[in-house]
Amino acid sequence: MAELRLSKLAVGSKLPELSIDITPRLIVGGAIASRDYQNVHHDKDAAQALGSPDIFMNILTTNGLVGRYVTDWAGPAARLKKVDIRLGAPNFPGDCMTFSGEVQACDTATGEVTVAVAGNNRLGPHVTGTVILHLLP
Amino acid sequence: MSTSLPDLQQYVGKEFGPFYSWDPVNAPMIRHWCEAMGDTNPIYTSDEAAQAADHQQLVAPPTMLQAWSMVGYAGDRAPGSSSGSAFAVLEVLEAAGYPGVVAVNCEQEYEQYLQPGDEIYYKAELESISAEKTTALGTGFFATEKSTFYNQRDELVGTMRFRVFKYRPGSRENADG
Repeated sequence: MAELRLSKLAVGSKLPELSIDITPRLIVGGAIASRDYQNVHHDKDAAQALGSPDIFMNILTTNGLVGRYVTDWAGPAARLKKVDIRLGAPNFPGDCMTFSGEVQACDTATGEVTVAVAGNNRLGPHVTGTVILHLLP
Repeated sequence: MSTSLPDLQQYVGKEFGPFYSWDPVNAPMIRHWCEAMGDTNPIYTSDEAAQAADHQQLVAPPTMLQAWSMVGYAGDRAPGSSSGSAFAVLEVLEAAGYPGVVAVNCEQEYEQYLQPGDEIYYKAELESISAEKTTALGTGFFATEKSTFYNQRDELVGTMRFRVFKYRPGSRENADG
């Protein structure tokens, strides 16, 4: 895992895209790893009874994937300070979510970097938002 | 319909909690999380890698903040936790004819990285509730719950704002937002 330095960044720097297959395994595995046993995240019949076509990803998993996306890029020395997301279309099994991101601000004095992140699936944006992290100079 | 509602602002700002965690922050739960998320950042699984990044020992992914104090399979809060909910207003709205709910925003801020042994608890309040709004989904209210997380030394470790739209489904023709 490469270490990213603040000095290598500029406003507009792009993060590499990351595509994640949305499988029942990921949705259920993420829900259980986050101790979220709401039935819509593991029980298709229950999800359909509530008007959803299938089970769907829980918010804690979305948060976890957003954090992973940014630190995959930033490296192990980065410190996450804030993950601020807006939720959109659900992540259903069989879909694929592609993350993209771009540096919105970087402050060489404090090491603070603001990244705009979007995760899109075939329905549109699943998640959009900003992540603030601290990097080494 | 909204004329039958009580004053919703009375629910704002009342503190609930503490709500405790079943388990202290621990390496196995961190590893399970990282496996599911596909997160290979070594500071979450290796003391050496974490120390090289100026942590004392391996740390939890910050986005696990909420996971530690989840009720889990049985649906029970951890021993010693308070009863009540900062989102009680959602039940009031449900009874008043606003059955739909959708999560809109989740904002987490991290004050410090959590490490094995940390015992996390949180307090929560309804931070705000909007006036009645009409969106593409219907007519209802935006409600924001603020949770504040602490460790065993009562140090602030993070905050989370979770915003939902509690609504009565409507036709798109009436949408204004």
